[in-house]
Formats: sequence, C-alpha cells, structure tokens
Amino acid sequence: MSDAEGAMVRIIDVHKRFGRNEILKGVSFDVARGEVVVILGPSGSGKSTLLRLISHLDPLNGGRIYVNGHLVGYEERDGKLHPLGDAASSRSRADVGMVFQRFNLFPHLDALANVTSAPIHVRGVAKKQALERGTELLRLVGLGEKLHAYPSQLSGGQQQRVAIARALAMDPKVMLFDEATSALDPELVGEVLEVMKLLARDGMTMITVTHEMGFAREVADRVMLMDGGVIVETNTPAAFFDHPQHERTRSFLSKIL
Amino acid sequence: MIVDISLPLLVNFDFSVVRESLFQDTIVSGARNTLMISALAQLLGIGMGVIAAVARNLRIPVASQVASLYIWFFRGTPLLVQLIFWFSAMPQLAPNDFSLWIFTVRHDWFLLSPFYAALIGLSINEGAYMAEIVRSGIESIEKGQMDAAKALGMTNLQAMRHVILPQAARVTIPPTGNEFIAMLKNSSLANVIAYPELLYESQKVYHRNFRILELLTVASLWYLFFTTMFSVLQAELEARLRPEEERRGFFAMIGRAISAPPALQGDRR
Repeated sequence: MSDAEGAMVRIIDVHKRFGRNEILKGVSFDVARGEVVVILGPSGSGKSTLLRLISHLDPLNGGRIYVNGHLVGYEERDGKLHPLGDAASSRSRADVGMVFQRFNLFPHLDALANVTSAPIHVRGVAKKQALERGTELLRLVGLGEKLHAYPSQLSGGQQQRVAIARALAMDPKVMLFDEATSALDPELVGEVLEVMKLLARDGMTMITVTHEMGFAREVADRVMLMDGGVIVETNTPAAFFDHPQHERTRSFLSKIL
Repeated sequence: MIVDISLPLLVNFDFSVVRESLFQDTIVSGARNTLMISALAQLLGIGMGVIAAVARNLRIPVASQVASLYIWFFRGTPLLVQLIFWFSAMPQLAPNDFSLWIFTVRHDWFLLSPFYAALIGLSINEGAYMAEIVRSGIESIEKGQMDAAKALGMTNLQAMRHVILPQAARVTIPPTGNEFIAMLKNSSLANVIAYPELLYESQKVYHRNFRILELLTVASLWYLFFTTMFSVLQAELEARLRPEEERRGFFAMIGRAISAPPALQGDRR
C-alpha cells in the first residue's frame, strides 16, 4: 500500500459483531488527505463502533482498515490478517487521534500534563520540548490561561478542548471525533465546534460523528448517512441536505431538521 | 467478698516490672525489629500485589495464571504455616548440594535466617492480599480512561503505569493502611521462627523472670502505640484525599482516629 497520494484512510468491507449482534455489515469508503467527513445516523447505527475500529480500540471481525498506507492493528501474511502485538498495535494507534464524547481526560493530571503525557512517555519527546508544544496547543484551543487547571476545575467545553489538544500533541495523521459535543451543555457546544472548524481549515483529515447539522453543512467535504450497519448515502453537504437521494436519508433528515 | 477474690490478682501484678521493662534494651530492640520487618514486608507486599493485579487485569498469558495460583494459595493457607515452611521446611527441599544442568544448587541457599524467612513469609503472604486490593482499585477506574490512554498510543503497561495505577492508588490507600496495621500485629507470628521481634524479646525476658503478665502488658503497650500511631496517620492521609472536607487540627485528627476504628479491625488469618 503506497498510494499515499490517494487515501489517508481506507476502509474496506469492514464487519463487526458483538456476540450474535452484527453492528457493521460491510462498510467501505476512503478519506482523502485533508478531507473532512461527517457521519450522521440514528443511534445504534454503528458510527461510534466504526471510529473505535479505525483507532483499533476494538478488534475487527472482517475487512481491512488502512491509515496513511498502514494496516491498522494487524499484519497481513499469505492474504490473512494476524493481530499485532500490544507494542506494535499501540504504535499504529498513535497516528490516529481520538476525541471521546465523555472527554476521558486523566483526572490526576493538570491540563498541560494531560497534553504532554503521551508525547513524553510514548514518543520519548524531551520534557522541555513537550511542555513548550503542549503550551502552544492549549493556547491554540483557547486555554492558554488554564495550563495548570485540573479537569475537575474545567467546564465540559474546556475539558473537551483539552482533550483535542491532547490528541493533537501526538501529531496524528487523522482525527476522529466521536460525538464530541453531545455531552456538553448547549451554550458550550460552540466553543468546541470552533476548534474543530479551525482544525478543518488547517487541513487536518477528520472523521466526525456528530448530530450538529450546522457543522456538517458548513465544514464537511462529504456527509454520510449510516444506518443499520451500512453507509446508506454519501454526498457533498449541499446535495446531501438539499437533494437527498435515498428514502432513508429523507426520513432521517425530516426527523432532525 | 469480691475483694477477696480479685485482690490476689492485683497484688501479683507488679507495675514496677512493666515500668522497668518498657524501655529496656531488649524490648526496644524487639519493637524496632517489629516496625522494621513490618514496613519492609508491607513495601514488598505492595510491589508483589501490584504485579499480580496488573498481570491478572491485562490477562498477560502465563503471568496471569501464575498470579491467580499465587493469590489462591497464599490466601488459602495460614500465615503461621507459611512462616514455618520458609524457615524449617525449605532446607529439607535440598538436603544436599546437587547439580541442575550446568549449575550447582547448594544446600545452604535453602537455609534462611530468621530475618529472611520472616521477611519472605510476611511479604509473600501480604502480596496475595494486596493483589486483591489493587485489583479492586484498578476495576474502580472507568473504562474510558484505558480507551483514552490506548488511543494516545500507550501500550497496556504504559497505560497502567501512567494512567490507571496513579488513579487506583487513591482508592487503594485506605485498605493498604489497614493492611499495614494488621501487619504490625501479624509480625508477632515470626516469634515461632526465632525472629527477635517484640513478642519474641518479651518472651525471652519472661522466661528469665516469669513475669509473663507484665511482659505481655509491655508488648501490648508497644503494639497499641504502633497501631494507634499509624491509625492516626492513616486517618490524616484519608482526610487529605478528601479535599472538600476541611477538618484540620490535632484534636480533629485524634477524634477521627478513635471514632473510625476500622483500621483496628484488620485481624484475620
């Protein structure tokens, strides 16, 4: 796989089951470098599961996922997939930044230590450099004044912005946002979306699961509807929202708009 | 009438013996040894407990099964039996020098001094209990923390070391304090393998002067001093872990230690 010019993320016929419950029933799409993809869909449609597979937090049951030309979490020998060991799969995860619905900041570390812990311990970056870069990233997300605040002292919106800075500190090739604003009070959603727009404008490759239609319309290069474990429709935001092709897209949009 | 019955008991109890023995060299050295072996065994026990708990939590092949076996065995047999094993039965495992592949295994490697037998016995036993305490600490941390650590590229062990264990430690501190207080008392079992701890030294004195009652009183006073001191420290430490509760000052500290006796209820085995 050396078509790095083409896709940053390649998802090929991905299947996922939990017990007998099939969550993903063959999902395929590519995400180009710098592209922003928004995935919409009803809850339980498999959107979050897909993101967890891209960052290899859960194992695949079928198909392949490539990030930046590298197979995520597996190695291929004789046409078969073999799971990578802990160290190698951790290395492949480091290229994928993930932002969670519930932030998942480390409560025993202050904002700056949250941002610098992975660069220091995983990448082996010198502490001084990591602190400089961490400070810079926290300024970027508007939290230059909160370097030494603990997560419990921050609002939900501030915590999520720290979480974004923490993911960015690993210089990910792609950022995944798993309903990053769903756990926030309505008045705090905007500040997080602003940071996400900033990243998108900056050329970050992003796959975003969200219920924020305004964000999808304004920022996305492509919008997808996922339902029942498959991608139902993919289109540009304008076409997706104004001229949906599929009946299921129309009924989904009519419920939420 | 009642006075007639109880009087001989009281008359026989000689406070001056207690007073003289309390700080005599043998007893003080016994108390020092009790404190030292308890602290060392507790530290080693915490180390072994963390290793066993992590091996089990991460389901590391082989290590996880070994850890389960370890916990099952050492929690399931009496500490006294384990101490006698390390001191008296170990040498019988290798009655003579023998060669194993290219190594020569020597008989005297299996001869443990009372100190090492007591240290090994107490710490290995403690590790099995600490493993369960650390395990419940690890399990109390929400799953999203592990997800976040792994999403940042940490390996399982890095996530444990930098994210999970520091948070679990908080939850683990109160029961570990209880363990240490129990350890101070359980270390008295090492008297059967002739380790010169507090009880052993007290016995040495009463074997000479037959003042058993007084010397047991002396030993108990030292144990009470240690357990009370560490209960107070523990209560203070726990209070600091609850920053929202602003109860400071020496009397509040003593009050907590006395009103919260769970630390003194650690007896078992």
